[in-house]
Amino acid sequence: MDLHDKTGLLIDDMPEMRSSMRIQLADAGLEKCDTARNVKEAIDRLRDKRYDLIVCDYNLGQGADGQQFLELVRRKQLLPLSTAFLIVTGETGYEQVSTAAEYAPDDYLLKPFTAELLGARIGRILDKKAALAPIHRHLGPGGDRSKALAACDELLAQGGRHLLDVLRLKGELLTAADRNQEALALYEGVLQQRATPWAEVGKARILAALGKEDEARDHLQQALAAYPNYLAAYDSLAQLVEKTDKAAAQQIVEQALRVAPSTQRQRRLGNLALENKDYARAETAFRRTVEKDRTGFFKGHDDYVGLAKSCVEQGKTMEALAAVKDMGASFANTPELKARQAAVECQVHVRAGNESAAKAALDRALAVQKAGGLDAATALEVARACFAGGKQEEAKQIIQTVAEDHDENPAVLAQAQGVFAAAGLDDEGTLFLEATKKRMIRLNNDAVALAKSGQLDEAIAMLTEAADRLPNNCQIAINAAQALLMHVLRNGADAARVARARGYLDQARAINPEHPKLAEADAFHAKVAKAAPAT
Amino acid sequence: MEAPLDPLVAAAIHDAKNALMALDTRLAQAAHRATGADFSAARADVARIAGQLAELLTLYRAQGGQLRLAIDDHDLSDFLADLAAELGPPPAGIELAIDRAAAERIGPWAFDAYLLKLALLDALRNALRHARARVTLALDQPPEGGIRFTVSDDGPGFPAETLAGALVPSDGSGTGLGLAFARLIAARHRTPSGRAGRLELANRPGAVLEIWLP
Repeated sequence: MDLHDKTGLLIDDMPEMRSSMRIQLADAGLEKCDTARNVKEAIDRLRDKRYDLIVCDYNLGQGADGQQFLELVRRKQLLPLSTAFLIVTGETGYEQVSTAAEYAPDDYLLKPFTAELLGARIGRILDKKAALAPIHRHLGPGGDRSKALAACDELLAQGGRHLLDVLRLKGELLTAADRNQEALALYEGVLQQRATPWAEVGKARILAALGKEDEARDHLQQALAAYPNYLAAYDSLAQLVEKTDKAAAQQIVEQALRVAPSTQRQRRLGNLALENKDYARAETAFRRTVEKDRTGFFKGHDDYVGLAKSCVEQGKTMEALAAVKDMGASFANTPELKARQAAVECQVHVRAGNESAAKAALDRALAVQKAGGLDAATALEVARACFAGGKQEEAKQIIQTVAEDHDENPAVLAQAQGVFAAAGLDDEGTLFLEATKKRMIRLNNDAVALAKSGQLDEAIAMLTEAADRLPNNCQIAINAAQALLMHVLRNGADAARVARARGYLDQARAINPEHPKLAEADAFHAKVAKAAPAT
Repeated sequence: MEAPLDPLVAAAIHDAKNALMALDTRLAQAAHRATGADFSAARADVARIAGQLAELLTLYRAQGGQLRLAIDDHDLSDFLADLAAELGPPPAGIELAIDRAAAERIGPWAFDAYLLKLALLDALRNALRHARARVTLALDQPPEGGIRFTVSDDGPGFPAETLAGALVPSDGSGTGLGLAFARLIAARHRTPSGRAGRLELANRPGAVLEIWLP
C-alpha cells in the first residue's frame, strides 16, 4: 500500500525510540508523521487534526500506557473509528495489549521489527479500515445506527476478506438496538463455524439481555476457562454478578486486574470494595488510581472521594483529609472541584465527630451549589454532605433538581437512590424518585395536551421554563422546540421562534445526540424553517 | 503441577534475550558497513536462540500456572506471510513450500499468534535442518473441526523414541524443547465447549509434525 498520502502520529516517551521509529516509518513510506512525547501532547494533536494512523508505544511513562490512552481518546471521542491505532510493545507488554478489552487496538507489533514488517502491518490495518469505512461512517457522534446496519448487510452481501469483522460490528449494532433474537442468531451462526471469544461474549450478553442470567453467567465462565486473557469476558461477568453478589463481582474484577492493569478497573474494584465494606482493599485500589496516573488524564474527582471515604471508614481521619487536599492539587480549580472537596470534607468531619468543622465545610459546599451549574455527580455529593450534616430538606431539594434534570438517565437516578440509601432512607428515596419521574411525565403530557387544545402559548411557557431550568433534560428541550415550531406552523412566519427552537434543539443535541426523538424534531425544524425563512 | 516460580530464572532468561537483541543490532550494523559480507546466517542463529529462550520462558511460566493464552482472531494469510518473513529464505538447495491457498480459503481463526508463531518457526527451522530437498507447511480443516498446521520434510524422520513420546532424544539430535513447547501450546488452545488442540508426530517417511487447533 502506498502510504505517501497518509498522515500518522507517533507517540513514544523515549527520544531515541521516537527518532528510530520515525526513520522506520519513513522507510515504510509514511513520511507525514507528527510526534508526541506524552499523553498531553498526543491529546493536543488529536484535538487539532485527524490522522489516518496512530502508532503508540505501550509504555508512555508517567504511569500511562498505550491501551489506556486508546480507551481514553475513544471514550472522549477524540479518535474517530476511521483512524487506525497500532500499539508497539516489547514481549512483556504483549499479553496486556492482546487482551481484547472493550477498546482494542487495530493491531499490535512486537519489538524488534523491520521497516518492511511495519509497512506490511500498516498496509493491512489501513486496508481493513478502508473496507469497514462504509460502516464506521455512521458510527460517530450523531451517526445513524440504522444506516450502519444497512452498510453491514451490503458488505456481507458483497463478500470479501473482512466478513468476520463486519459480522462482529453487526452483532454489536443489533445488541445496542435491542434486536436480541437477531443478534443471538448471528453469534450462534458464527460459533457454529469457529470458536472465537468475541462471539462467545456477545452471545452471553444477549442471554443476559433476554433475562437468562444464569445461562449467561455459565457461558462467560466457560469462555474464561478457554480465553483467560479476554478482558471483555471479565467485565461482562462482573457486571452480571454485581446485581446479586457484590463480593463475587469484586473477586472477578481482581482477576481481571491480574491480567492487565487499568485505572478504570482499579476504580471499579475500589467502588465494589466500598460497597462490600472492604475498606482496606478499597483504599489500596483508589490509592493506586490516584498515584499511578501522574498524567492526571485517567483519574478523576471520584477517585479521591473514594480514597477519602475508604480512609475515614477505617478511622484514618488525617489520611482522608489528605486525600481531599490532594484532590485540590491534582485538578483544575473549578466549582465542581471546590464543591466536591467541601462536601467530602464535611462527611469526613461528621464521621470523625468534628461538628463545627463539618458545618463550616457544608456551608462552603452549599455556597458553590447555590451558584448553580454543577454536574450531577458533584451535586449529589453535596446532597450526601447535607444528609450527613443534618440538612435533610436541602439534600432533597438538590436531589429533586438532579433527578428532574436527568430523568431519562438510569445511572444518575441509581446514584441518587444511592445517596438516599447511604442516609438510611432507602424506601423514602424510592418513593421520592418515583414521584419525581411521574411529575416529569405529567409536565410533558400536560404541555402536549395544552398544545393540542390550541393553548400553544401556555405550552411554550411551561416547556421553555422547564428547559431553561433543566439544562440536561433532552426530552424537555425537544418538546420545547416542537411547541415553538407548532406555533410558527399555525401562526405563520416567525424568525425569532424558529431561532429559539433551533437553540433548544442544539441544547438537546449537546445532551444526547442519540436521543430517539431528535432526528424527527430536526426534520420538523428544517421543514418549518424552509416554509418560514428568516426575513 | 504448579510450582512457585523463582523470579531469578525468568529475569536471567529475559536478560539473555535482551543481550541477543543487542547482538542482533550489532550484526545488522556490521552488515550495513561491510558490504559483500553475509551476516544472514549469524542473524538467523540469533533469531533461533531468541526463539528458544522465549519458548523456555513460556514453559517455565506454564509450570508456575502463570501462562495465559491471548486468543484473538487472526487472518491466516497474514499470519503465514508474517511467519515466512520472520523465517527468512530457506538454506541453499532446500525448497520451502507454504500453502497459502488454504489460508485464503479459511480466512480468520482465533488463536494466540505469538505463541503459535514461535512453535511453527521452531518446527520449520528443525525441518529445514533435517530436510534433503523439500519442506512444506500445509494448512487444512480436518472433518472433526478446527484447523491443522502440518510441517513435513523429506529427511530421515523423527527418531523412534521421539515418536514413542520420549522428551529428550538420546542421540543428541536436539533438546526436545521445541516439541515440548509445541505440545503445550497446542493443548492450551481450548474452546469453551471443551475441545482442545494437540500435537501429532509421524514419519511418512520424512518427519511430519501436526499442530491441531480447536
